[in-house]
Amino acid sequence: MSSKTWKTIRLIAAILVTLIMIFPVYWMVITSFKTSNELRLAVPTFWPETFMWSNYAEAFQAAPFGRYAVNTVIQTVGILFLQINLAIMAAYAFAKGSFPGRDKLFLLVLAALIVPEQVTFVPVYVMLSNLRWIDTFYALIVPHAVSAYTIFLLRQTFKSISNDVIEAGKVDGASRFQTLYRILTPMAFPTIATMAILTFISSWNSYFWPLIMTNSNDMRVLTVGIAMMRDSVAGDEALNFHLIMAASVMIILPIVLIFVLAQKHIITAMSNSTFK
Amino acid sequence: MKQAPAARTKPKVSMASKASISRRRIESLKDFSFAAPALLILGVFIYYPLLFSLYISFTNWNMTRPMKKFIGFENYDRLVSDPLFYKVLRITFTYTALDVFLTLAIGLGLALLFNVSKRFYNFMRTGIFMPYYISMVIASMVFLWIFNNQYGLLNKFIGVFGMDPVNWLQNPNTAIWTLLAVSIWKGVGFTMLIFLSGLRSIPLEYFEASSLDGANKFWQFLHITFPLLSPTTLFLLITNFISSMQVFQSIDIMTNGGPLDSTKAIVYWIYEMAFVNFRTGRASALVIIFFLIIIVLTAVQMILTKKKVHYEG
Repeated sequence: MSSKTWKTIRLIAAILVTLIMIFPVYWMVITSFKTSNELRLAVPTFWPETFMWSNYAEAFQAAPFGRYAVNTVIQTVGILFLQINLAIMAAYAFAKGSFPGRDKLFLLVLAALIVPEQVTFVPVYVMLSNLRWIDTFYALIVPHAVSAYTIFLLRQTFKSISNDVIEAGKVDGASRFQTLYRILTPMAFPTIATMAILTFISSWNSYFWPLIMTNSNDMRVLTVGIAMMRDSVAGDEALNFHLIMAASVMIILPIVLIFVLAQKHIITAMSNSTFK
Repeated sequence: MKQAPAARTKPKVSMASKASISRRRIESLKDFSFAAPALLILGVFIYYPLLFSLYISFTNWNMTRPMKKFIGFENYDRLVSDPLFYKVLRITFTYTALDVFLTLAIGLGLALLFNVSKRFYNFMRTGIFMPYYISMVIASMVFLWIFNNQYGLLNKFIGVFGMDPVNWLQNPNTAIWTLLAVSIWKGVGFTMLIFLSGLRSIPLEYFEASSLDGANKFWQFLHITFPLLSPTTLFLLITNFISSMQVFQSIDIMTNGGPLDSTKAIVYWIYEMAFVNFRTGRASALVIIFFLIIIVLTAVQMILTKKKVHYEG
């Protein structure tokens, strides 16, 4: 076969695979616009008979999603703020600072990467319930205030910045804090932006931790809220998938938006930073 | 090689140098204070809980009772004499092995298929990568709908070929595949991207030289591409293995560990023991066993990295 035929076959295969991969997202969106009756047709429709925008309003009323969204935003912003700032400071200390035991302590930071939250959640729950932090934002935010991975990546970035920059700052009489936040941080902006995006996505999507650490309806985040909404229609869920999917679309919208705006940035960062 | 002078003259202590020593001490204390908050959080929420888990695992602590007693290895004894323990381990490892193998195999296939530097291919790659960032909870909801027994699209689809509908989620033989489907759908895009960056780091001369020797594409894949990709493959193997072992969200949304415990993986069992049955002590023993498995796997794979992996240059 000629190379042109091969190219065409390859293109068709690639298009097919892509369609299969994005189909579940398409199906979610399409389902969210159907009526409950249309869900149960013998032959499923791939385009809604009429677009039921009211499904979105109805889903919004089926559970207090407004409250869940506020909680999710507070959780996400809190984690984002602490993780970035604590990582900037720690990465500076490990990259440019000098104190006894620095490299050993850094190993301790790296070792934390091996410990998943599934290993620490039982004792942390006991600890937080002694502190009476369960069902508060403290429980959602503080245990995730530090990301060893962010510290690791930022340390790499800071290390690549010449010491002359810091010395120049010292000569100008700038404090450590000023040097770090006015000079080093802007220079490390691409790394910080990438880590901020990844942190945003992972705390927006988190489920395990908020499920365990909260128990009142007022403290639920979106992911836990939609799981509870689905549980409330268990058994009859086939009649309610249009509402579940409408809620799902609303929950993933911010993530899709960020992904579309920053995908080039994310993808390059991902492929470059994972194992170098 | 030139040796650096080993002996150093002992500095004479003068007033000035004393002052500089104490100034240096203050400087290093200031440096340390920048790392201190992060270290404190890691200590309180990672290292202390690990030790605390170990302690709880030797007690009969139950969250509903305030009393706790030291009972030695009883929690561990109870676990290893429970047939469910072996079932849970088997399910976890079956799930993990299938998940890792399929995600890597499909991801590599996608990387080879999509290794074309054209704008349209770039666009398609973005579409394939997108599910990686969709919450596992939402992905599980969508698959719950697709796998729905009565109205789900999959059963309608296989019906076209005259097959009977399958009760995917309620059948102990198929339930685990519904979890695998979600995980693979979400994971292959990332795997593809990492394999792609591995593929692009292989020097083109290798292929050119072997083409001149008359090697075909398949031979090149087996003898050049695959061996030179081994650092990438190993990296993906380790990270995927460890994250697959932690499967929880899809189980909690789609199967609740059922039917007949057929999807009860280890983290789900820990969760159930600690937060449904309140057996904090025994759950902690299981946590410790789980953590040891992860450490052993990490160590084994790190040793393998040093021995087997083909690094260029």
